[in-house]
Amino acid sequence: MAERIGVFVCKCGPNIGDRIDVDSVVAEAEGIEDVVTAKSHNLLCSEDGIRFLQEEIRKGGLTRVVIAACTPKQYEQKFMRACEGVGLNPYLLQMTNIREQCAWVTPDPAQATAKAKSLVRAATMRATLQEPIEKKEIEIHPDVLVVGSGVAGLEATLTLAQKGRKVYLLEKSPCIGGLGARFEEVYQTMECAPCMLAPELQEVLQKENIEAITYGELEGVVGSYGNFTVKIRRKARYVSEEACIGCSACFEPCPVEVSNEFDEGLSKRKAIYIPFAGALPNVPVIDEANCIKLKGGECNACQEACPFDAIDFDDQDRIEEKRVGAIILATGSTQFNPSSLAQYGYGRFDNVLTGLELERLNASNGPTGGKILLKDGREPRSVAFVYCVGRKEKGHCSGICCMYSVKLAHLLKEKIPGVEVYSFYTDLCLPKKEHQRLYEEVVEKGVEFIRSNGSERVSRDGKGLVVEYKADSTSKSLAVDMVVLAPAIEPNPDTAKLAAILDIPLDERGFFSEEHPLMKSFGTPLEGVFIAGCCQGPKDIGDAVAQGGAAAGRILSRLIPGEKLELEPIVAVIDEEICGGCNTCISICPYSAISRDEEKKVAVVDDTLCRGCGTCVAACPTGAARAKHFTNEEIFAEIREVVR
Amino acid sequence: MAKPKVALYWCASCGGCEEAVVDLAEDILKVVEAVDIIFWPVAMDFKKADVEGMADGEIAVSFINGAIRTEEQGEMVKLLRRKSGLVVAFGSCAHLGGIPGLANFWNRETIFERVYKGVPTMDNPEGVLPQTRTAVAGKELTIPEFWDTVHTLDQVIPVDYYLPGCAPPPDLIMNAITAILEGKLPEKGAVLAPDKSLCDTCPLADSKPEKLSLKEVKRPYEVILDPEKCFLAQGVICLGPATRSGCGERCINACMPCRGCFGPTKGARDQGARSLSFVASLLGIEEEEKMTDEEVEKLIDQIPDPAGLFYMYSLPSSLLRRRIMK
Repeated sequence: MAERIGVFVCKCGPNIGDRIDVDSVVAEAEGIEDVVTAKSHNLLCSEDGIRFLQEEIRKGGLTRVVIAACTPKQYEQKFMRACEGVGLNPYLLQMTNIREQCAWVTPDPAQATAKAKSLVRAATMRATLQEPIEKKEIEIHPDVLVVGSGVAGLEATLTLAQKGRKVYLLEKSPCIGGLGARFEEVYQTMECAPCMLAPELQEVLQKENIEAITYGELEGVVGSYGNFTVKIRRKARYVSEEACIGCSACFEPCPVEVSNEFDEGLSKRKAIYIPFAGALPNVPVIDEANCIKLKGGECNACQEACPFDAIDFDDQDRIEEKRVGAIILATGSTQFNPSSLAQYGYGRFDNVLTGLELERLNASNGPTGGKILLKDGREPRSVAFVYCVGRKEKGHCSGICCMYSVKLAHLLKEKIPGVEVYSFYTDLCLPKKEHQRLYEEVVEKGVEFIRSNGSERVSRDGKGLVVEYKADSTSKSLAVDMVVLAPAIEPNPDTAKLAAILDIPLDERGFFSEEHPLMKSFGTPLEGVFIAGCCQGPKDIGDAVAQGGAAAGRILSRLIPGEKLELEPIVAVIDEEICGGCNTCISICPYSAISRDEEKKVAVVDDTLCRGCGTCVAACPTGAARAKHFTNEEIFAEIREVVR
Repeated sequence: MAKPKVALYWCASCGGCEEAVVDLAEDILKVVEAVDIIFWPVAMDFKKADVEGMADGEIAVSFINGAIRTEEQGEMVKLLRRKSGLVVAFGSCAHLGGIPGLANFWNRETIFERVYKGVPTMDNPEGVLPQTRTAVAGKELTIPEFWDTVHTLDQVIPVDYYLPGCAPPPDLIMNAITAILEGKLPEKGAVLAPDKSLCDTCPLADSKPEKLSLKEVKRPYEVILDPEKCFLAQGVICLGPATRSGCGERCINACMPCRGCFGPTKGARDQGARSLSFVASLLGIEEEEKMTDEEVEKLIDQIPDPAGLFYMYSLPSSLLRRRIMK
């Protein structure tokens, strides 16, 4: 049956009307096959224009509509709704732009009119081939994945769980709690961090709607807002989480000793271990890189010692898929490694530590049980802090180093009576309402703040360490027992990998880029993916918690259970009569929306994942992949008229 | 009842398509039993005048192989078209232009220069080139004109069906003849072979990884191909994904990648463009973002003759048709 096409040319007031001979464009349209109505209107997007359009569609029984007007970016949606309002499938409308592309690009009315005619012909030919497309909806997935169980991730998880949301909390290390769980006192309340976190950690492990997955990694993500499928690798723990009660009988017999990364290498651990005393969940893991048995040797020491039969050497990595509607990345940060800056002697001289190492020495669950000691076991009599290590190299102020250095100076003074503490700084950054107070306190306690020009060098003499520095334009030196560096904060090494998996951008320093640095610091440009805590940039515990809460709040207010999500209607389809199953499209789909039907040996598009980008259509060697609303036939028909 | 009359004719081709008819082996007897072959210059002694003497449409079907590149070929196929009910383009050259179609990267002048003067084995001190008219002993001799451009059969006459392949395999030939005799023909213009691409029937399909990536491109002589593993997965370009199936995977089974003689699938217009597009899509996809322009260039340069490779059988039938010579 022949189509009944209506062509409507908008004058856009003087914008089109003054430059283009609209009547002759209408006359041209009237001459095209199957065009039953061709009319002009002064302003088609006006209320009167929409009424006119709807009336014409109804009156003429139109099956296709061509609108020659402004850019479709401006009013295509409005015109589509107008069509829909009178029962015409909105994808049977074709717009062509005779304003920006004709009237506004030449002062010559003849040229503008000629081009408008050719665009109208092209759009009409295309419209004939257009097919109705039905919109599809799916129900959103209200569940959420939180990656990282530091303070930001914990806050987000608990906020979501409190409103009954199912949360998958994914943690890379064997225990939850992040860096915070490894500190003793925290700035500036001097509250005990493990005590502060303990109730939260317990709640996470016990709450029914929270599934904490420790020793796991995010492997892949497909889908979009409201409809993500995430692939999680649960690494083999070799210890059954169900059977183990955490009695620690297995540690003693294990013959392997390696340095403990959770104590910054300051202590040893066994190949079967928990990261530190009190780590949760209290279930050890076997480190497959160091376990004799797992490396193929003979040893069953832990298995023999285990009273609960919890050791399973046949355990394997498992890949699990979860459907979630939103993802919060709270993957934290790490410390810049100062060994690349030779002037500080870090990694070469004993008793040159980083702030985090001193944190572990100070921690009651750390390598010395909380005693701050020199390598030889003596208490230090003098300690120098060097601020801003790597600030120049990294190009940013980490904002928290001054705080924790002041805190550690305070703790030294408390723990070691009479200890001399010096702080070498160039600038002090203690901005918040309470932060100045502790600084004033430690100054009062005798911590000497020395403003230098940032050229500190650490060397060694027979007795200990010497800090050479320049202050007031004079070179000076100071002998100390211990030097504590405050290195810059940098992104975790996994940050780039996660950004690639999720296809979200990183900033120039390698942290996740926020959607807006001020208005939406916890959002990313990808809808439904949020960032919280130090993975967005260095920050203190309070700020990290606030971001975790903000991201959770945003999800609770937007991702409502039971709500529907409209799917992209312009997707790719694969004609299984032609597809030979070559896998080209599967290999290149940026959204992992295509998979192979093994039975039919053809590729299949999942239209809940497809975003209609057309990559597969261009790559398909057989022409089996077609883009709805942008078929080759439609495009060729347009081109043919334009080049005629 | 008289048996249907059949003509077989060749134009610019290698003779392989004629061999393909002989390859029917004992099946040829069934064919001869069912039809009268009234014109087959390669095997039987009939003249043009015999065809001219027939009534229009008297021949039930003409199987014409070879591309059309001379005046004589043009004239003969027009004659056969007039006399035949059905015309079948037989083999790659009639269907797509085939190997002779690669001449469309040149023109008559450059081809004559090369063939009659340039090649080292040519002894032609006076530089004589073929002329359509030559005076000999007071008489004028004529030979047909050699065209600038090689054409597919359907660019010269309307074609009813296509039998693809270089050469078409015996089973497809028998299927076509049977369909014609039984009147069970598909829609006019159809290619008498399956609609899917070669990967569908490829014996190596199961060895193909779900995610393909061409990290580098090797030519078949540069590697010892594993005969049991998808050639693309081994870094050798195989045009199977962009080529219609039905060939019997003869090349694949001989450990040679597909070069596309069956032409594009039903859904594709330009086999070369499709081939180029899928290869470009897979080339270096894993490291794409990290590659410098020079590295990309280097990777692309591993395909020394992309036009010749991707359009090996289909240049005259493609959107390009020929190179523009200035």
